[in-house]
Amino acid sequence: MLLKRLLLGIASVGLGIGLMASSALAANLRVLAWDGYADADWVKQFTAESGIGVDVVFIGSDDEIWAKIKGSEGQDFDVFAVNTAQLQRYIKADLVSPIDLAKLPNQKEVLPRFRDLTQVSGVTKDGNVYGIPFCFDSIGLIYDTDKVKPAPTSMSVLWDPAYKGKVLAYDNGEHNFSFTALTLGYKDPFNLSAEQMAAVKAKLVELKRNVLSFYTTADEAQQIYQNNDVALIWANYGQQQVKALQKIGAHVAYINPSEGALAWLDNWVISKGARDKDAAEKWINFMVSKKVSGALSERTGFGNTVVESSSAGSNDKLVWLNNVEDPTKRSDQWNEIKATP
Amino acid sequence: MSSAGLGRPIAFRWSPLVTALAFALPVVFVLAPLAIFLVYSFFSVDQGQIVYAPTLANYLRFFTDPVFLPVFWRTIVLCLSVAAISILLAYPTAYFLTTLHGRWRYVLLMLLMVPLLMSYVIKIYAIRSILGLNGFLNKALVGLGIIAEPSTLFVFNMNAILLTLTLLLIPFAILPIFLALERIPQVLLSASHDLGASNLQTFLRITLPLSLPGVASAASFVFVLAIGDFLTPQMVGGISGFTFGRILYSQFGTAFNWPFGAALSVALAMVVIAAILAGERFGRNRGASL
Repeated sequence: MLLKRLLLGIASVGLGIGLMASSALAANLRVLAWDGYADADWVKQFTAESGIGVDVVFIGSDDEIWAKIKGSEGQDFDVFAVNTAQLQRYIKADLVSPIDLAKLPNQKEVLPRFRDLTQVSGVTKDGNVYGIPFCFDSIGLIYDTDKVKPAPTSMSVLWDPAYKGKVLAYDNGEHNFSFTALTLGYKDPFNLSAEQMAAVKAKLVELKRNVLSFYTTADEAQQIYQNNDVALIWANYGQQQVKALQKIGAHVAYINPSEGALAWLDNWVISKGARDKDAAEKWINFMVSKKVSGALSERTGFGNTVVESSSAGSNDKLVWLNNVEDPTKRSDQWNEIKATP
Repeated sequence: MSSAGLGRPIAFRWSPLVTALAFALPVVFVLAPLAIFLVYSFFSVDQGQIVYAPTLANYLRFFTDPVFLPVFWRTIVLCLSVAAISILLAYPTAYFLTTLHGRWRYVLLMLLMVPLLMSYVIKIYAIRSILGLNGFLNKALVGLGIIAEPSTLFVFNMNAILLTLTLLLIPFAILPIFLALERIPQVLLSASHDLGASNLQTFLRITLPLSLPGVASAASFVFVLAIGDFLTPQMVGGISGFTFGRILYSQFGTAFNWPFGAALSVALAMVVIAAILAGERFGRNRGASL
């Protein structure tokens, strides 16, 4: 998934630079986005409707966005896409501008969970809205419908001794601490106290004993699934992973656990150096229209904020990923867990 | 004469530069990076930022934290086992190759080296599907009636790492042993036979001792390659096959603790250098006594 984004991103950056150079004089809207967030037909339609020309540059990683925006102090782009965990860093560094919701009529029509932006952790600060949610996916649980009965409702099934040696977990300390904290019922899985940390660690050692292996890429998980007796997969790659498995004929289904599923959420934000804030707001409003957002889910398989998608049912509880209290500590503890016999 | 006279001063003028270059390349590309590594191992990390103040904390942590030393020893034992099994399998293979004559010897040798041309990752993927519960190995064993039902003994544990590393590294063991065996002068073997030694006696008293330098370099090759590998354990090691390479990798890949990773690398480098020196010394001594 990331690799694909990266490759497509690299391919498109060249194109984007070419476009930028050719039309820099026309003062076009400068958009920095992930591949799939600004497809050519949408751009064309936006220009036709608003009369605003658009130059898109695609990026391949969070670090690349930061480098481009920070490097020019926001002067090189008008509008860009960034996830909730990252956004805080941009607000702190004063690289983004507050967004005027009055200019975004479409934002009133979005799904209930995205309507009150103060409830979406990370997109507001001091009463100002900095990010408009656009694209998301949950990190849920994939289960084999032939082997796991009844259908699970919580991640706690991963600890069930009935599935010993049939569980695939993800090799990442940060996420594993967060989801285990949710399973243990902790309110804020991204800021654990020392006691909570110790409890989560003990719980993860137990998980390890129930697990067949820890995977890192979606392809890897799929290959292990094909060659072994796997019943449950902690699905770091969400919908894309489910769909890939279903494509090879696996009888699998996907749930977001009742205690809350971790989920990433990308937002449109307006850079501090925006030349035409009005045009940027028009772009965002266009992006959260039914048509574009619906097409986004059809094309990428990710969830959007306007039309219901398979990433999350309307009653599913999603916990937007945030920066954790101490990534180094979580990583060290994860090593200790793995080294525990 | 005159052209030689012209040529010489030019060669003379350039030769120091060439010499300097010859020294500069290893210094710039090998010694300098190693030195940088060593320096980094004395720094520390605070809040995701590297603190450039010298400290011994990383080394202290390596020796005192209950996590690292056991994994370190376990990894060394694992890689010694890989080296030992590789030698046990490679020696008969190499010996067999030397008994062949003419073209066949090199055709077969080439065939044994072909796996080295393939991507490392693809080989691991392939081996992993062979070892899996529904994999070829289990199907074959069940089909032959050797085991009643598929076993999880071969994948996602230490056994899997041992098997996979051995399979991946065996060409590196065959080659030096083959070269050592091939270099043994035929006259010595003939002399041994003439003097009435049996085949076994000839092997034990002539062939084996003379091939030991090859065995020593094979062992150090395999050991060094095995201990530096983090990908194989990561991909087939599962939950119990946790090796030092994986800890090292996590310091750079996920923890962003480069200084500590550097300190762990220095510890690993010590072992690797010791293995190379041991392999080389053993090889040379035997060679010199020829």
